Amino acid sequence: MPHIEIEGRRIEVNEEGFLANPEEWTEETARLLAKAEEGLEELTAEHWAVVTFIREYYLDKKLAPMVRKMCQATGFPLMKIYDLFPSGPAKGACKVAGLPKPDGCV
Amino acid sequence: MKRRKTGPSGVVEAPLDTRAQARAKEEGLPSVKDGRLKTYEPGDNVAKFLDLLDRRVSRSLAVSLTACVHCGLCAESCHYFLARPDDPTMTPVWKADQIRQIFKRHVDWTGRLAPWWVKARTLRDDEDLNRLKNIVFGSCSACRRCTYNCPMGVDTGLLVRFTRGLLTELGIVPEGVFNVSRDQWETGNQMAVTETDYLETLEWMRDDVRTELGDDTVDIPVDKPGCDILYTINPREIKFDPRSIAHAAKIFHLARESWTMPKWGWDQTNFGLFSGDDKLGAFVARNVYEAAERLGVKRIVISECGHGYRSTRWEGYTWAGHEQKLPTESVVVTLKRYLEAGRIAVDPARNAEPVTFHDSCNIARSGDLVEEPREVLRRVCADFREMFPNRRENFCCTGGGGLLSMAEYRPLRLEVAKIKADQLRATGAKLVCTMCHNCVDGLADVIKHYKLPLRVVQVLELVSNALVIPGRSGS
Repeated sequence: MPHIEIEGRRIEVNEEGFLANPEEWTEETARLLAKAEEGLEELTAEHWAVVTFIREYYLDKKLAPMVRKMCQATGFPLMKIYDLFPSGPAKGACKVAGLPKPDGCV
Repeated sequence: MKRRKTGPSGVVEAPLDTRAQARAKEEGLPSVKDGRLKTYEPGDNVAKFLDLLDRRVSRSLAVSLTACVHCGLCAESCHYFLARPDDPTMTPVWKADQIRQIFKRHVDWTGRLAPWWVKARTLRDDEDLNRLKNIVFGSCSACRRCTYNCPMGVDTGLLVRFTRGLLTELGIVPEGVFNVSRDQWETGNQMAVTETDYLETLEWMRDDVRTELGDDTVDIPVDKPGCDILYTINPREIKFDPRSIAHAAKIFHLARESWTMPKWGWDQTNFGLFSGDDKLGAFVARNVYEAAERLGVKRIVISECGHGYRSTRWEGYTWAGHEQKLPTESVVVTLKRYLEAGRIAVDPARNAEPVTFHDSCNIARSGDLVEEPREVLRRVCADFREMFPNRRENFCCTGGGGLLSMAEYRPLRLEVAKIKADQLRATGAKLVCTMCHNCVDGLADVIKHYKLPLRVVQVLELVSNALVIPGRSGS
């Protein structure tokens, strides 16, 4: 099983670095994924606003939200999402929020 | 070819994952019930496979199956083999031989008569079929660079797609390919975007461009009849990255284009190309063609997408048996026309960083669109530089052929991406431009993995950056 080792922790992920078991996500996992996969040393309140929304949306609908919904929920303009998560909404924000990899050309 | 020592095989041993197929059956999806979306059933799949092979082999396939003289030139053109030079299973000829041997055993007279002589081989069970799946989906990005360099005209890309199609018919497919095919069959677009979400995102981008230009007449029309252009996009532009829609809307507005997007038939991508399923290919392409006819447009324009361009511009008309009445072009060709006609003004100094261009396989090698993007880039960038090799000889981004959606093959994909990484690094560019969304993510993966000091951009973004907006100084 592919995994990430960081700060003495071992996180099981898929080949693309998305959490292998999305139900095992915790805020600590998010912090570690952000550091390992997005190079983010710390998650600010703005990061958390996006991550928390994605997480809740996913638990409710079993789907990754569209970037439109992320912006509506947080009040951020589109470019802000790319500033916060260098790999973008799908491979960045959704990954930190512990979602499985979205399907399709991403 | 020099004989090399044999290393460990790079063929990934991914088991057949049918969990998504089971869910689709449980949910009673219409496409599964009426047999458009095929699912795996244990049983005599080998017999079904051989029957399909026998019935579907066309003359052009038979040529590719019999004409190979095993000269080895294809090996030197394949990034899988170049990155793993000790591994014969990475050569295109070995991959093609896996289907060729079965063809010889069951269809061609030479193998039926003297199987040992022509190395004919049969399939034993579903495990063998799954192994074939791991070869044709997992060790080939269907980039067709080997095809382009074959002196005998063997189309290994065609053989790979054909074999993928036979396996797809039996539900022996990577889960990612199944999921996207499911969404295209069920919703008409590969990311299952709803009509409401689609329309809302377009309105959002329209409002953003209105604010940016300070002009309330900017519009993103939907289903407006009688326009000159029907603009079709990749669903990822709606779902995750609508910046490109805003760039296009801004440019169309400034060029005073008469354009519309369709309410249905807006997805120009097509997983039928990747899965080898011509019926899915026909369904998705026909949606676009019918939208164009319904709205009475004069031209279909395809946003920056490699496989979408190849599917909608070239293959789709054949799959759908649809007569091509309208010019069907990439948006990059549209942009080139605007620049030549002076319909938009640009200042290349606004893209001052060195830019290189990555030719998408489906656009250059398989789509014959080579010089147009360069002509646009030379007008909008101050420092445009080629990478080598380039044009029809360019190497794949490594995410082609649908590989981006097949996580199980990613470690091998990134290992062989060494070739792409070396090529990118040698340009010394800061930006790599590509006119394909698949390449955007493929290249971004290579850049991240090999820690290259580069960022991926698309042609629309660079043109949008360079725009000189009338009546606005220093804009």
